[in-house]
Amino acid sequence: MREGDREDLELHRRLAAGDRGGFDELYHRYAGPAYGLAYRVTGQQILAQDVVHDAFLALWRAPEAYDPARGPFRTFFLALVHHRAVDLVRRESRLKARSERAANLEPLVGEDPAEAVAEESYLGVRRKEVREALVGLPPEQRQVLEMAYFGGKTQVQIADELRIPLGTVKTRTFAAMRKLRAALEDTA
Amino acid sequence: MTNGHDDIEELLAGYVLRSLSGDDAAEADRVLTEHVPTCASCRAALDAFQSVAGELALDAPRMNPPETLAVRLRRELEPRGRSGGRWSTGRIVAVAASVVLVVGVGGIALTRGNGGLAKGQLARADLQDVTKAAVAPGATTQQLGHATEVVAPAPEKIYLFGADVPMPAPGMVYRLWAVSGTQPLYIGDFLPNDDGTVILEITLPAASVGSLFVTTEPAGSVPTTPGPRAWTSQDAA
Repeated sequence: MREGDREDLELHRRLAAGDRGGFDELYHRYAGPAYGLAYRVTGQQILAQDVVHDAFLALWRAPEAYDPARGPFRTFFLALVHHRAVDLVRRESRLKARSERAANLEPLVGEDPAEAVAEESYLGVRRKEVREALVGLPPEQRQVLEMAYFGGKTQVQIADELRIPLGTVKTRTFAAMRKLRAALEDTA
Repeated sequence: MTNGHDDIEELLAGYVLRSLSGDDAAEADRVLTEHVPTCASCRAALDAFQSVAGELALDAPRMNPPETLAVRLRRELEPRGRSGGRWSTGRIVAVAASVVLVVGVGGIALTRGNGGLAKGQLARADLQDVTKAAVAPGATTQQLGHATEVVAPAPEKIYLFGADVPMPAPGMVYRLWAVSGTQPLYIGDFLPNDDGTVILEITLPAASVGSLFVTTEPAGSVPTTPGPRAWTSQDAA
């Protein structure tokens, strides 16, 4: 286990015991990544704020939802943020008109310019490893993965949009996830 | 229906990305409740894919949220153990109305997708019926962790209603029990709907339902002895 993961575990233990200091430190660590993710999925700052707000509040109210035996706190919490963001996108029909910019890979307005400096921590190292693993995927696999994960689209919607069979979307998604699993486990 | 571990893992890969719909989502529900809890290989695959889904978040550029968000959150943190505070009848009606509004705008059924699983003597309920029961003469409400038990006397109905209920860990379900005499009585398993709501009817006579409590258990496990209590009626403020 990385040092950063151990620190997260201790902060979560404090939060679960009702220590607001533990909550504040986890917020300081994860508000930026969570907000960046929520903005990329929802494409609207106000909705991204709601997603991050709800995720942190859910963490405070139900800390037992995280089981350390199933992986690092980081992946649990960011997966929670992702789920809430995707659910919100699907609920909000007005998001149909959301900016295409939020779904592409270009830097976004409001991106923390000090990211590289501020994230010299383990989180910054992991971010680099994730990006390298993604770049290593075949373009067609990366495309379906990003449409699902950051675009919040279902596999059926992806098949329609790309005009490829649903089975192909499933196969590409599975292959991408298996490669990422192997690549990220190697560097964990 | 899926065959073999590769098919199941392919389904799980789509599940953790939140990208399943229709028959695939229903099949994932079935696999998660019937197969995954008893298969170490699929549980490991599910955990690994969940981790990948969490790591993928780091591909999004970090952005600092406005300072007001931290202020808003700190203001809303309740002391531990109050779990959102007791729900008054008025609050139930108000939240029920807001849920209806969201559903109306989004055009999404409350019980669709991966949530809403209910087994045993639990049935999915209609939100309007819960609201009606909550305001009926003689109705009582009791906080139960993240949800509220609503009991209406005539006709006798018992509902469990909650909003913003967190999902249990993957492969786990909430399990509802009643204390009847000295023995815990299994009522049923459930998961929140995709929008975090729980809207269920307990199809048992009120006389046989004493106090309620909820545990978190592996999906598909045999409900013999309850594990540690995750929600109890003592959580009430």
